Amino acid sequence: MSAPTETPTGASWEELARSGAAQEAEAPAARRLELVTFELDGDPFAAPVAQVREIVRLRPITPVPRVPDAVRGVISLRGEIAQVLDLRRCLGLKPAVASRSSRIIVIHGEEGGVCGLLVDAVRDVLRIDEDETLAPPPGEGDLVVALCPRGDSFVSLLDLERVIELGLARTS
Amino acid sequence: MAARRTRKGRTRSRAEREFVSEAEEIVERMRDDLLSLSEQQAAGADPDPDLVNQLFRAAHSLKGLSGMFGLDGMSELAHRLEDVLDRLRLGRVADPTGASALVEEAVALVASSLAGLGDDASTAATVGAISDLTGRIDAWLVLPTEAAGDAPDLAIDPTLLRALTEYEEHRLRHNVARGRYVHQIETCHDLQSFDAALSELGEAIKVDGELISTLPSAAGGDGSEIRFLLLAASDLDAPDLAAHLGLPESAVRCTGRSGDAAGEPAPAAGAAAPAVPAAEPAAAGRAPGDEVETLKSIGETVRVDIRKLDELMNLVGELMIQRRTLGALAQRLLADDQTTRVGAELDKVHKGLERKLQELQAGVLEVRMVPLRQIFEKLSRVVRRLRRDLDRAVKLEIRGADTELDKLIVEELVDPLVHVVRNAFDHAIEPPAEREAAGKPVEGTIRIEAYQRGNDVIVAVSDDGRGIDSERVHRKALERELVDPEQNLSPKEKLDLVFTPGLSTRDEVTETSGRGVGMDVVRANVTALGGLVGIESTPGQGTCLTMTLPITLAIVQALVVSVGAQRFAVPLSAVHETLFVAEEDLQRSRGGELLNLRGQALPVRRLAREFALPQTDPPDKMSLVVLGLGELRVGLLVDRLEGQQDAVIKPIQGPVADLRGIAGATELGDGEAVLVLDVAALVEDAGRLREAA
Repeated sequence: MSAPTETPTGASWEELARSGAAQEAEAPAARRLELVTFELDGDPFAAPVAQVREIVRLRPITPVPRVPDAVRGVISLRGEIAQVLDLRRCLGLKPAVASRSSRIIVIHGEEGGVCGLLVDAVRDVLRIDEDETLAPPPGEGDLVVALCPRGDSFVSLLDLERVIELGLARTS
Repeated sequence: MAARRTRKGRTRSRAEREFVSEAEEIVERMRDDLLSLSEQQAAGADPDPDLVNQLFRAAHSLKGLSGMFGLDGMSELAHRLEDVLDRLRLGRVADPTGASALVEEAVALVASSLAGLGDDASTAATVGAISDLTGRIDAWLVLPTEAAGDAPDLAIDPTLLRALTEYEEHRLRHNVARGRYVHQIETCHDLQSFDAALSELGEAIKVDGELISTLPSAAGGDGSEIRFLLLAASDLDAPDLAAHLGLPESAVRCTGRSGDAAGEPAPAAGAAAPAVPAAEPAAAGRAPGDEVETLKSIGETVRVDIRKLDELMNLVGELMIQRRTLGALAQRLLADDQTTRVGAELDKVHKGLERKLQELQAGVLEVRMVPLRQIFEKLSRVVRRLRRDLDRAVKLEIRGADTELDKLIVEELVDPLVHVVRNAFDHAIEPPAEREAAGKPVEGTIRIEAYQRGNDVIVAVSDDGRGIDSERVHRKALERELVDPEQNLSPKEKLDLVFTPGLSTRDEVTETSGRGVGMDVVRANVTALGGLVGIESTPGQGTCLTMTLPITLAIVQALVVSVGAQRFAVPLSAVHETLFVAEEDLQRSRGGELLNLRGQALPVRRLAREFALPQTDPPDKMSLVVLGLGELRVGLLVDRLEGQQDAVIKPIQGPVADLRGIAGATELGDGEAVLVLDVAALVEDAGRLREAA
């Protein structure tokens, strides 16, 4: 590896890389969002992939006494015990019904804890630039932070912590 | 998640508590040593060099500990302390009393800043005080010191002299100045046990002198033995010392005495030539103060963070769960005619795995175990101090200090035990005149006893003091409206009221037993560990407080019960007995339901009702689990008993932090989470309901 490899334009890869980096520094590209999309009562919702630790199939949920209705119970994740919340009830929708497509999205909570969220179905991962999203219409509260256009519909991006907090308060 | 946050918070405060308790222990020891030192100085005696050394090492530990915890001010102060003490032990101080006064001041300051840790206002105040004192110590350190004298004129091999540390040289000079003989002692010990043999020899030398240096010697030995050359100062001459030490006369050689410089002829460098710098390069460079540790650090121990052991324990727990799944699979294969052979083989493998896993589990558990000796020693220091401060004759008897418990439990046990012992000292043991009048020995006795009983460890603290008058306790509780005046209590139940929050049997608050913290805190601390506290007392004869503790927190024996389709686990340590009952056995009363259990009215709670569980088809004969918390008993009514199992209790993660009545959850092998009942909360709730009724 003596001389730098020439590129078709005559500039070395190294120069190209450097100019690319410089360009990026000058005008930062719009933030790319990576979202898990899922369904609740027929409507599409999304949450940042970064918050998700894993997605597991529905398994027996052990009910826990004396908790807000939004808490369905606890599950064991390879010996680790996590609460499972019914995301439908958190949003004020009617309670979830178990089906073949039901999933539990396990999210990272604050300070390393985990929490399971029961959803009707998990769809796919949506990649979208931040500037392509729309501000939520007023009235959505601060539960929905953005609307992501997909085809001719919108996927609501949720602020999960807020949803959980309000959901527990609403159902206790 | 909220639950997680509190757990995190507890971890952090545990680290802080660990630091504070370790630092306080060091400070406490330093205070004891300083007290002895000032007594010796006041008596005009030669201070015990071991004492100064001990203080020096304590300052060194304190420096490291506070530095590790990021308390730079305290670490700086401890560093100065080390400097002062180093001067003191090297005898390079013109004014030893002034030096110990500085040390005393510094130790007091460390103690007060430890007490104020976490409180911003008091931290700011101590920071100022620390920098002020550090400045004064710095000023003191630049004062001219007593010059080190010339090397003593002794018939000691110069190679040996060069091998001595500055401190050892100082001690040598000091002893020569005192007119002691200086001897070279040759010994030979078995490699396995030289440590113990040497310390025994050192103790024997100390009776009439001082051991100055221990040097391994290169000569002789067949590989299983190691030779040492000891340099000792003594009031005895060579033949007497040899006789005293039980050594052949030839092993002890006098190398001189002040005013008698000729002594015996210098030994020919030969057989006993010590392995000096060339052979032991570390010797020259080692820090002063390390001499004693050098030999001891050969011990084969490692320090391990308890959290790492927790992780290992968790892994073992998970392996056990997988093992059970494997066992279930083997059973399924066995049941099918087509696969019986494979099933049998798998079952065999599974059984072998089970055995090995149990060994592994026992091994990991064993690592977590520490003897209670550690805290018992702390208690005897507490008693020693109290005895001095209050000038009261009380002796502490300790039995079963080798009894082992989970490290975490031992740590959590310190505060309650210190409290109980102080209480006994302060309230139970009568003044000497009163004791004499009662025909008791003037010296009071507090006895701490620990022993294992099955899966529990019992720690009992008893005294031969005045005992507790249960009627008086009851009166007090009535005065403070802590009990229902209509409630008919047995003497035992009345005595048990000492554990009620807000009740103190003494009106005045004393320095010794502290303010506000009472026996209720002791009970709360012990029950938080899954233990029980009981008390027995005979007025005029004494009191015995018994703590029953689980050996480990990592694994509990659980009784699995069920209501409808849901299973629950109950820690077996809280289960007194189980029995079958039918609906007609239960009677309704004001506070709920009761069962006549051998003439005693046992309050009964239905788990189904307590937890609002769907109970589809309750059996005719239901099961009653009698739970006990101290003297309190509550019957918990469930549908069925499912059996007994080892359970690893895990915290429940998630946004809901307050799960009243639930201690955690466990997985019993089929992938399903099973809630573990918090017996203390259930029993307390039942008690509260009874009072409210």
